[in-house]
Amino acid sequence: MTGIVVFTLAADRPANASIEPAPDYPPELSRLPPGRHGLPREFVVHNQRERLIAGLAEAVAENGYASTTIAHITRHAAVSRRTFYEHFDSKDACFVAAYDTVMDELRERVGGAFEAEKEWPRAIKAGIAAMLAFLAAEPNLARLCMVEALVAGPVVVERYDAAIQSLVPYFEAGRKGRSREVLARLSPTTEEALVGGMVSLISRRIFAGRTTELESLLPDLVEFALTPYLGSAEAAKVAREK
Amino acid sequence: MRPPPGRQQLSREFIARHQRTRIVSALAEETMAKGYQGVTVADIVRRAGIARNTFYENFSSKEACFLAAQDYAADEAFRRVVEAAAEIESWQGRVVAGLTAFLAAVAEEPELARICFVEAHSAGDAAKQRYEESLQTFFPLFKVGRKVSPHGEQLPETLEETIVGGIYWIIAKRIVEGKTEELESLQGELVEFILTPYVGVKAAKRAAS
Repeated sequence: MTGIVVFTLAADRPANASIEPAPDYPPELSRLPPGRHGLPREFVVHNQRERLIAGLAEAVAENGYASTTIAHITRHAAVSRRTFYEHFDSKDACFVAAYDTVMDELRERVGGAFEAEKEWPRAIKAGIAAMLAFLAAEPNLARLCMVEALVAGPVVVERYDAAIQSLVPYFEAGRKGRSREVLARLSPTTEEALVGGMVSLISRRIFAGRTTELESLLPDLVEFALTPYLGSAEAAKVAREK
Repeated sequence: MRPPPGRQQLSREFIARHQRTRIVSALAEETMAKGYQGVTVADIVRRAGIARNTFYENFSSKEACFLAAQDYAADEAFRRVVEAAAEIESWQGRVVAGLTAFLAAVAEEPELARICFVEAHSAGDAAKQRYEESLQTFFPLFKVGRKVSPHGEQLPETLEETIVGGIYWIIAKRIVEGKTEELESLQGELVEFILTPYVGVKAAKRAAS
């Protein structure tokens, strides 16, 4: 959770301001002095790693992944180049870490929202809403995990594909208890098509810089996702109710 | 004795076009093996069996060559879709014929399909823009279904975007897994996926069979 707080703070602050400390850290850590500062090594390392990840997110938002350099990252993170290499072998490796951090947060929010609902249709709605809310609130992170991820090398692309596939079980759960008539409407690729379609719409909006519109997509996405299982009338009802 | 000017010109044009196609094919094959970012002009010219000069006579850069490959593949696929759907009366029938032709085009040219569906995302802004445009080409074709549908006005505004996006994802996944030959067998399910929101499941299944 702290990682995302760092992201938010980093994204909020103006370009030249000094780095705000994350709320957990004492204020005197706003800028770690070089060399010895008497802090537990583990603490410093954790903080540096998070700052590098936040730094990468900012640098990529500014330059695009391809043009981002390690110098960009270390400048945004306010750490030395040597420190970068203590944590990561390469720009790609730093990106993977950033991607994983963002995705862990996203998974936690979507999963949490889904689990909090007793009935499946509302659970799906809650999960989609949580995803859209996060992406809309963090446009740089949205770009990072849904647009730049595809430029950051085969390791990340594989994770991206796996992340989309990991949404399938949420929808497969919708098959439970359905009548034979409903099940006959579904095919082996139904969930894949639904998930692929939703992610496509969301990522295209992000690519087009239209993240402020993301949350307004909720009713359409919910209706699209639920229709195969509930029929269009019931799906529309769930989609449009408050 | 010199050949008449007409014949000479035809030969040069033909050779040039043939050369361009060969270079594009070479890029497609190299991209399949190494990913777009890993491919070099040296790789392409070696695969095509041409001189480096010849590459640069045809394309200003690797990116320009990639975009040409993307354009060629997209134009060809859409040509096949339009041709297949041309004579068919009903919208449902046109969707079936068009989708079948599209899946066949992908299966027949997996390297070019990979360029359009997978590599385009990491080949720069112009490639990404072409990807976006290729999706958009299908939206009006499916939107016609709203006129055919008994409840066209109530359908979600973004329906065409999610339908096309879903089909593209399924195709992209099969490309990445090297299973493009399976696409033909998915035709029925994908037709149902497209048609059901517009005309209901019974009509969709009828059209798919």
